[in-house]
Amino acid sequence: MAQNRRPLLAFLTSRQQRDALLVNAVLLVVCFFILLPIAATLLISFKQDADVVRKPPVIFPCDTPTAAFDLTACRWSVEGYLRVFLAQPSETSPLGFAINGRMLKIYLPNTMLYALGTSAAVVVLASMSGYAFSRFRFRGHNFLLNFILAITGVPLLTNLLGLYQMGAVLRSLPVPIYEDRIFIVTVYAGFFLPLSVWIAKGFFDAIPRELEEAALVDGCDRVGGFLRITLPLATPGLMAIFLLTFVNVWNEFLAGYLLITKNDLKPAMFGMYDFLGQNLINAELVAAACVIVALPTVVVFLLARETFFQAMVEGAVKG
Amino acid sequence: MILPTALVLLAIQVYPALYTLVLSVQTRRPAGWEFVGLRNFARLLNSAAFVESVGHTVVFLVGYTVLTLVAGFVIALLLNVKGALSRFYMTLFFIPWVLADIIVGVVFRLLVLPDYGLLAGILQNPALFPPNGLSILTADAARPWIAGFPFPPSPAMIYLILASAWRALPFTTLLLLAALQTIPTEVLESARIDGANTWQTVRKITVPLILPTMVVALFSLTLGGMNGVGMVFSLTSGGPGNSTEVISYLLYSIGWNRLDFGGAAALSLLIGLVNLALIMGTLRITRLQHEAH
Repeated sequence: MAQNRRPLLAFLTSRQQRDALLVNAVLLVVCFFILLPIAATLLISFKQDADVVRKPPVIFPCDTPTAAFDLTACRWSVEGYLRVFLAQPSETSPLGFAINGRMLKIYLPNTMLYALGTSAAVVVLASMSGYAFSRFRFRGHNFLLNFILAITGVPLLTNLLGLYQMGAVLRSLPVPIYEDRIFIVTVYAGFFLPLSVWIAKGFFDAIPRELEEAALVDGCDRVGGFLRITLPLATPGLMAIFLLTFVNVWNEFLAGYLLITKNDLKPAMFGMYDFLGQNLINAELVAAACVIVALPTVVVFLLARETFFQAMVEGAVKG
Repeated sequence: MILPTALVLLAIQVYPALYTLVLSVQTRRPAGWEFVGLRNFARLLNSAAFVESVGHTVVFLVGYTVLTLVAGFVIALLLNVKGALSRFYMTLFFIPWVLADIIVGVVFRLLVLPDYGLLAGILQNPALFPPNGLSILTADAARPWIAGFPFPPSPAMIYLILASAWRALPFTTLLLLAALQTIPTEVLESARIDGANTWQTVRKITVPLILPTMVVALFSLTLGGMNGVGMVFSLTSGGPGNSTEVISYLLYSIGWNRLDFGGAAALSLLIGLVNLALIMGTLRITRLQHEAH
């Protein structure tokens, strides 16, 4: 290695490195254009109404009568956010104010509940069946596995009508067993399970079974071996399943809109759609709502991006 | 251990699919459901809305898949160059992927808001778009070249394709990049030594080697594009006129605006059959790939 190292000044004369520099420059430009719509939304969300409705539009609200751009004169504003929050003084709340915007008060907590609930359910079910598929051979093993692979790609859309009518039938039963929240979480679990089972199986396959056998020899029982040896090793995989499901449920729109009957139980994407209909003329309000609703998934992704890439390549290669 | 998973899948995937099949040959009357044989299908296939929405879907899918695949392939090639900061760029490129399609629709709508949107200055410039500038979400399509087929598409459709491609680009790029990384560098190097230039290497070696992945990506884009509907809701609502009413949006309007559940069941079944064909195709290709390795 050492004798191959070039002197530092040869940097720009090496063809390969010049190519790399060029490629990085091109990628930077591509990146700029790809992120432009997001940047525009962020900018709008921090403008005040008077700057949003200017003709022609200004990119930065930083112009003065004398200068086109003056950093000290920027009129950034959180007006849009405040109007989404709709915070009002309240005597009963411990903070002294209450948030009355439907997006934060109703829709986002609903979505959080559905996303966390579904992810937890999917992780438990997928790790159980993924482990079984990975470790045991049983009657119907391959048939079931192939069946799950085949329905991995099935989109929700074509089942919506059946599910909707199923919900109607369940609601009309004389025994009140129907509950919007349980129903939607079950539906989401059913749709995000197949891929998760495959991802879980892949992760369990990668853990040598000798480790478990050694634990058995050392006096652990099967359940103990699974809980103490295999499960901790599979944690990154289960984390990937959890996060992938979380983002998928968070972003789902049509099932949450159509299958949930009570308006107060509908998720944030419905809230967003509803909000758009009422506020399209107030761009800074709509943009602020977008940022608030999208922020959790973006943050989750940025914190755990390697986990996402790994899970996605795993999922894409399998099915 | 598999029982709970199997039960959930039976209840949420298998049973509703069979139920849809049963509903597709019935219609809802005040007294209850009544058997009508294949009349729902006949009604659907003869309706102008269905025929038009198939046209819109075809235009959308061709534009969307071609644009996404070409752009994804080019970006994947760039990211695969030695020395490219691919990890850094992948992180930035991937942000659109975690945004919901409803949100993407809103974001793109804000860009072209009449008068105030960031792109309004360009689009409303009469010199660029004579005679009066272009209002992208309300302008009508030009006269179709072939009567009955919506080509050239309306500006709103083109914009819908762009927004959809923007959201699908990261995943496609990741898929293609993963495939590119499986090509041994020796193969490319020996081609170079034999005197092939970059274009020849890409066309004669890279593309044939990752063709299976490209087809998988094509199928998965088609599947997502045909069944994804959120962006239509928040960007165009099927308009102007019905120029962006794709088949998934038609399913929603038949089922939940007109409350024609029999017709919606029939349409679900037709879309489901196409989905099934795409999924089977994907499975076949991935299986062949696994056997080849």
